[in-house]
Amino acid sequence: MIHLNNVRKFYGALEVIKGVDVTVDDGEFAVFVGPSGCGKSTLLRMIAGLEGIDSGDLVLNGTRINDVPPDKRGIAMVFQSYALYPHMTVAENIGFSLSLKKVAPAEIRRQVEEVAEILQLRELLDRRPGALSGGQRQRVAIGRAIIKKPSLILFDEPLSNLDSALRVQMRAELQRLHRELSATVVYVTHDQVEAMTMADKIVVLNQGTVAQAGPPMDLYHRPDNEFVATFIGSPKMNVLPVTMTREGSESIHLAGPLGMALTLADANAPLPDGAAKLGVRPEHLRVVAEEAAHFIAEVAIVERLGVETYLTVGSIDQPIVVRVEGDVTFRPGDRVPLAADPTACHIFSADGRILRSANAA
Amino acid sequence: MSVAPPGESANRLRGDLMAYATLSLISIFCAVPFFWLLIASFDGNAQLFLRWPETWTFANYLRVFAKEDGAKWLFNSLFVVGSATLLVMVLSGLGGYALSRTRAWWKLPFLYAILLIRVLPSTALIVPLYKFLLTLNNAESALLRPIFGSATRDIMRWTGFIDGYLGLILVLATMQLPLSLWIMKTFFDGLPRDYEEAALMDGATMIQRIRRVLVPLALPGLAASGLFAFMSAWGDFLLPLILLSSPELQTLPLGLFRAFLRINEIDYGLLTALAFIYLVPAVVAFGFARRFLVQTFSGGVKG
Repeated sequence: MIHLNNVRKFYGALEVIKGVDVTVDDGEFAVFVGPSGCGKSTLLRMIAGLEGIDSGDLVLNGTRINDVPPDKRGIAMVFQSYALYPHMTVAENIGFSLSLKKVAPAEIRRQVEEVAEILQLRELLDRRPGALSGGQRQRVAIGRAIIKKPSLILFDEPLSNLDSALRVQMRAELQRLHRELSATVVYVTHDQVEAMTMADKIVVLNQGTVAQAGPPMDLYHRPDNEFVATFIGSPKMNVLPVTMTREGSESIHLAGPLGMALTLADANAPLPDGAAKLGVRPEHLRVVAEEAAHFIAEVAIVERLGVETYLTVGSIDQPIVVRVEGDVTFRPGDRVPLAADPTACHIFSADGRILRSANAA
Repeated sequence: MSVAPPGESANRLRGDLMAYATLSLISIFCAVPFFWLLIASFDGNAQLFLRWPETWTFANYLRVFAKEDGAKWLFNSLFVVGSATLLVMVLSGLGGYALSRTRAWWKLPFLYAILLIRVLPSTALIVPLYKFLLTLNNAESALLRPIFGSATRDIMRWTGFIDGYLGLILVLATMQLPLSLWIMKTFFDGLPRDYEEAALMDGATMIQRIRRVLVPLALPGLAASGLFAFMSAWGDFLLPLILLSSPELQTLPLGLFRAFLRINEIDYGLLTALAFIYLVPAVVAFGFARRFLVQTFSGGVKG
């Protein structure tokens, strides 16, 4: 189990990690995700020991390891560039950490072959990294990590150098490995799809702080703030400025752009009057009959994917994406009546905090 | 691939022929002096003009080593230039690494400033340089003489700044260092830090990181910078001429020069044999380092 307790990092006067608290349980696949510059790679490097920690505690299996050198932490890391030593063969790359520890060559060979078996690298052991494909290099990099039998494996954007087909394949591969090794993994990516598909726990980082941490579907259905709501999910959640007006004790009326008008039941958690933001995912907007519409908008872009179609409606400044089942016949310029599913609406305050999650009422 | 009409392919053939003929002429023009050098050095009666030897002989080469001090000159040249090259490789490796990996405001001004050393002709600096080395030499001599007495001259032949190996080695290395530093700095810029960090995570100590990861990775760059240093220092003539005076310290170009200046006659056989011997190490060095050069200038290390 790894635990980060109020961890901070400064570059000069600039605070890049602003008090992060995260716990990753044994065997868990945790993904740190966030836009570039959010500090996720720095945080990973701090766990690895490649960057110092200015304050707070880093605790691995009950021991504070802030000041333990990187190789003594029992942590292995797979680099974004893989960083395979080009002058060594695959076998030498994988066995490098053992040869540094002066392990007997026969024993190194045995362990390397064991790892190569797991990663299906047996045929490639005598090749140099330059003669390998991207996916093979990736597996060698993983082999170099797991031969150390680490209690934690760190991955720094390991799939970003691969083409999209290989990326899908490697995602499955990594999940299989994680199951077989039952290793604890911290994985950094900027790609929320990777995070959603692989993680047991997602930690969304924004500007050096944890925006939210939890299982993927928690973050998807119950985001804590506008940042997480729009970051998780593709295409992203529509967030529209609305004005709320209370209508009796049981419901609240929302007025938004494009003449949007809808009423939400609001008995348990009274929402305040005034400016707010309405968050609604593309799949929770439906094309309806005109009399049932919350608003009517002009179609700007139609993206047909066969099984589903994405309509972008409204203005360029305030586009709204609608997911429609199947291959529909709308064209740019069509005016379509739309309605939001009232049980799937998120309400955020003007500064982006969640006021009410979907299905909460 | 499309098939060209007959007329066009004939035109292309004529164009190719013209191009090859022109290139061949230029190649011959460039190669003739070397060709002359080679055959004249085996000619028992070598002349200033290109001619086929009547008798092939090794006599010229034998003369270089038996009658003249050829072996000593060759050793001196190899020792001085080799040491300077080694020094340049070590210093540019360490310095280039430091310049690439540290962040400091003075880095760029410093790099441009050291390039000045390369740009300024050494001829222009020779007087102050000589004066400076002489002062150092006198100080060293004054220090050593009370301790070693008459043996001082023998020591100073190795460690002296004027008329000693050390002075020439240091000056030659200094002249070559700026370019080599640039080469190594650029090389390390292209070498991802990940390699070192991966080695760090693997548990490598500083020494192990240098020996087992950095040096093998930097080898192409070091070979390139060493090659440039060697070739440039090998061709240097002025500095040994000014800084060396003892006959036993003469280098190959000086031997060649003095043989050319002899009053009574010009021995073309001897001169060409010497010149050929002088050429060989440079060519060998180039052949040896060629494969590293391509790697260095075509984008560093491929993982």
